[in-house]
Amino acid sequence: MPLSLTINGEAFVPGRDPMTPLIDILREDLALTGAKAVCREGFCGACMVLIDGEPVVSCLTPAALAVGRRILTIEGLSRRDEPTPLQRALEAHDVVQCGMCFPGMTLTLTSLLAANPNPTREEIEHGLVGNICRCTGYERVIDAVLAHAADLRG
Amino acid sequence: MPGARHVFRPGSIAEAVAAISQDQAIPLAGATWVMRAALRGEPLADAYVALRGIRDLRQVEVRENEVSIGAAITHAELAASLQRVRGCAGLAQAAAQAANPAIRRVATVGGNLCSVAFAASDLAPALVAAGAEVEIEDAHGAARQSVEAFLAARAALPPGWLLTRVFAPRAARLSAHARLPLRKAGDYPVAIVSVSLERTEDGRVRSARIAVGSVEPIARRWRALEQALEGRPIDPGAAADLARERTGDFAGRDGVEAPGWYRSQVLPSLVRSAFQFLQAQV
Repeated sequence: MPLSLTINGEAFVPGRDPMTPLIDILREDLALTGAKAVCREGFCGACMVLIDGEPVVSCLTPAALAVGRRILTIEGLSRRDEPTPLQRALEAHDVVQCGMCFPGMTLTLTSLLAANPNPTREEIEHGLVGNICRCTGYERVIDAVLAHAADLRG
Repeated sequence: MPGARHVFRPGSIAEAVAAISQDQAIPLAGATWVMRAALRGEPLADAYVALRGIRDLRQVEVRENEVSIGAAITHAELAASLQRVRGCAGLAQAAAQAANPAIRRVATVGGNLCSVAFAASDLAPALVAAGAEVEIEDAHGAARQSVEAFLAARAALPPGWLLTRVFAPRAARLSAHARLPLRKAGDYPVAIVSVSLERTEDGRVRSARIAVGSVEPIARRWRALEQALEGRPIDPGAAADLARERTGDFAGRDGVEAPGWYRSQVLPSLVRSAFQFLQAQV
């Protein structure tokens, strides 16, 4: 069976070993460099992508296990180059720091808000356990998400 | 070389067992252990068999007396399935606290039990304390054995088998799972204590199963502590004192995250935490 992947809505057939980490295909074959290969152990979350809507660490995902599933990277999150409302909120609250963890964090938060549009502070903290920020910027990110959720409620 | 390695995609347990026994394919579930092979200096295998597409491995059945858990169920799925299931509090805690949310979404029950060199499994001690069994299937059929026996024997099993299900009893017992990660959450624990106990009518310990994980290479029961607790009230401080007198029962493994002596030394504190959780259930 060919190794056929669906990445940001487009089919791609990498000429790769089926056990190649998905992160390497994204970055090296497709120049989708928003996901970062940092720890390669599933701890830091910098390589996070959404697979079938759920945050998954692409460093520990062999390409073979992503066949037939919808892979969404940070580059595919916005439509027609318009930031999502969450991305706008994060920008408006000026919470982006060095940028290493931020694509993964944004995807995790996107999934979290899709499942729970009105999260508590503790639920956001739990959701971000697997996204490590070495700039230690968690609190302002959480503040921004809470403000964004409140805005959506009107 | 591209294309040299093969990943089988069976639709049934029989097809998976055939790929394992005939093609020497290695079972591949969440892949979180396999994909870190390079970090351990280990080569990948020539063939794998992906288990995700096998429906029979992806089901949790809550029965009257036990819960049947498919081997390809993830930690997150298990935690969700066991919410409010009587008699499974400790196992639910273990599934909900392991690693971090992204790992819990893909790492499976079977993978957790079959990764021989992974000492920090949360599910292993929780299932030992629960008195759970595994079902192993090979070309000759299926057989059940206790999780504790399986953990001790798995490295020496002849090739060609697949762990298909785990059966956790639903007894009228209190249970708890206490762990010590180096951070508050999100990494693997230095030591784990899982407890399951039955009470007498006056609230004392009639029988206890206590399993210790991550301290030694293989999770196992702390039988000396179990015996010492029999007949005593559920008292976190007293249980920790009894544990402190018996930490010499374990030879902790040295690792980059903690030396062996530390893993044993924290056990009384984890026993206290577990008993505080048990006390709250009464």
